Amino acid sequence: MSSAHLPGPLLLPIPVIQLLQVLTVALGAPGVTGVIAKVEARLQGRRGPRVLQPYYDLAKLFRKEALAPEQASWFFLAAPLIAVTCYLTIPLLIPVLTSYGLPLGYMGDILGGGFLLSLASFVVATAALETGSPYAQLGSSRAKTFSAITEPVVLFVVFTVALLTGTDLPYALAATVRSSAGQVIRPAHLLAAAALFMVILHETGRIPVETHTGTNEFGMIEEARAFEHSGPYFALLKWGSELKQLILFTILANVFLAPWGLASTQRPGAVILAIAALLAKACAVGVVVAVIDNSFAKLRLFKITEFVSGAFLLAVLGVFTLYLGGG
Amino acid sequence: MDPVAMGAVQAPGVYQGVADVIAAVMLLIEFGMLRQALARDQVRLYMAQSALISVLAIVIAADRNLPDLYALAALSAGLKVVAVPLVLRRLLGRPRGNSAPDEEEPGGVAGSQTLSPASAVLAGIVLAAIGFFCFGAMKIHGMAGGPGGKNTAPATALSIAGAMVLVAFGLMIVRRDVASQAIGFFSLENAISLAALVVASGLPLILETAFLFDLLVAVVVFGMLIRAHHTKAESLSTADLTRLRG
Repeated sequence: MSSAHLPGPLLLPIPVIQLLQVLTVALGAPGVTGVIAKVEARLQGRRGPRVLQPYYDLAKLFRKEALAPEQASWFFLAAPLIAVTCYLTIPLLIPVLTSYGLPLGYMGDILGGGFLLSLASFVVATAALETGSPYAQLGSSRAKTFSAITEPVVLFVVFTVALLTGTDLPYALAATVRSSAGQVIRPAHLLAAAALFMVILHETGRIPVETHTGTNEFGMIEEARAFEHSGPYFALLKWGSELKQLILFTILANVFLAPWGLASTQRPGAVILAIAALLAKACAVGVVVAVIDNSFAKLRLFKITEFVSGAFLLAVLGVFTLYLGGG
Repeated sequence: MDPVAMGAVQAPGVYQGVADVIAAVMLLIEFGMLRQALARDQVRLYMAQSALISVLAIVIAADRNLPDLYALAALSAGLKVVAVPLVLRRLLGRPRGNSAPDEEEPGGVAGSQTLSPASAVLAGIVLAAIGFFCFGAMKIHGMAGGPGGKNTAPATALSIAGAMVLVAFGLMIVRRDVASQAIGFFSLENAISLAALVVASGLPLILETAFLFDLLVAVVVFGMLIRAHHTKAESLSTADLTRLRG
């Protein structure tokens, strides 16, 4: 359908859609966290917090006073801002709402998104080191150690994508998966998606790796890094980890598992539907994560390598079936 | 942007995709056995693997109109999902004359790994790579022979079967207990029937049943070996055998 036949207001301008992608992730992320917390509580037989609780938490923290340790430099306060900036840039690169590439969508590929994620995590870890607090440092040292061993898994997932599509653009993989049922069912795709899911469990600090609600410092990895931040800066870090979770869920759902329900036109209706679909898919992934949270025990710290080696096995077998097995 | 125009790999058909996925899951189960610490969990994994191969037989039977394969699926499910695990559990359970129930369970094979689980998995990956590479190099076009010749892609499932054979060998090598070695051997048979199903599913039923009964003989032999070893050495570990001198 050509746009000449339609009156102007029926189509959203591309920059608006691009902005909506960022806004959907920015505003939807705390809600998804709230849904997961609610489901988790219900599975444990508790009533649980309100779904909107994360928003209230953030609003409260943004109004509070900010304190910083005396030895900390400007970087300590800049880090949360840089991290959130990174997280808000990534939704420009991945298919959040549309099945067609937006102009800024080709600014970076999957590796570009990966670099931004690691930059954010590096900045937060460095800020935690600045504080001199033992627990924050322990958290950042552990986070860096374990992210170094999940890196190969992510690389092999990217290799699988590259072998499947001949490119490493997230939009291209989503389009390939949509193109036929055979693409969905092929082992390489499923293995890579499973490996990515395990990495996501690891990156969002979920149960086989870490108890995200726990207050036991000895088991903490990601959660320990924000110990010394307070007020608006702590709010930014919290919001940042919620953003990261929704971004990773979006990549899993909209690129790998279910790239359906994305807007293929610029009509407002399609875009609104896509926003609803994205949030629904993210909540569905969240429910699965909550079920896993309730069915497994946390791994001992030194067993995490085994968990990651499982993910690595999946990713490597995915590449093998494609590159050597011809499937 | 059209993904196919961008150099995307053509996907095989849905049936072959299902077959490949089943084969891939079987390979993953093989890796699971590699790091499983309890013999009864290994038996459970073997049951799952055998159940999958029966499902695969049904899928192929439906895809290629080979009614024989339904019979084979039923037979192999009866033997490998029910009978063999039952016998294995009997053998690994408390043998006669063994006392107190709170004693160390003879089925425990926890200490029998010669490599740490992570290294065992890495070694398994290397073995799988060799298997994939060798079978890929043979360029056997298994599924292509089906009615209608839906595609000409080499059967990924065949390469996976090759990888499984080698990983099963690996399992028998890195474990020092009789139970894991027996299960490694039985899953080796699973790998071979997988290869047979993918490449030559039209193989006469009688030949495939003969394979299955070979397995039964192996179960009996292994059972006697496990029993004999356990009564002599009072453990399932083969480490004690190194002391034997001619």
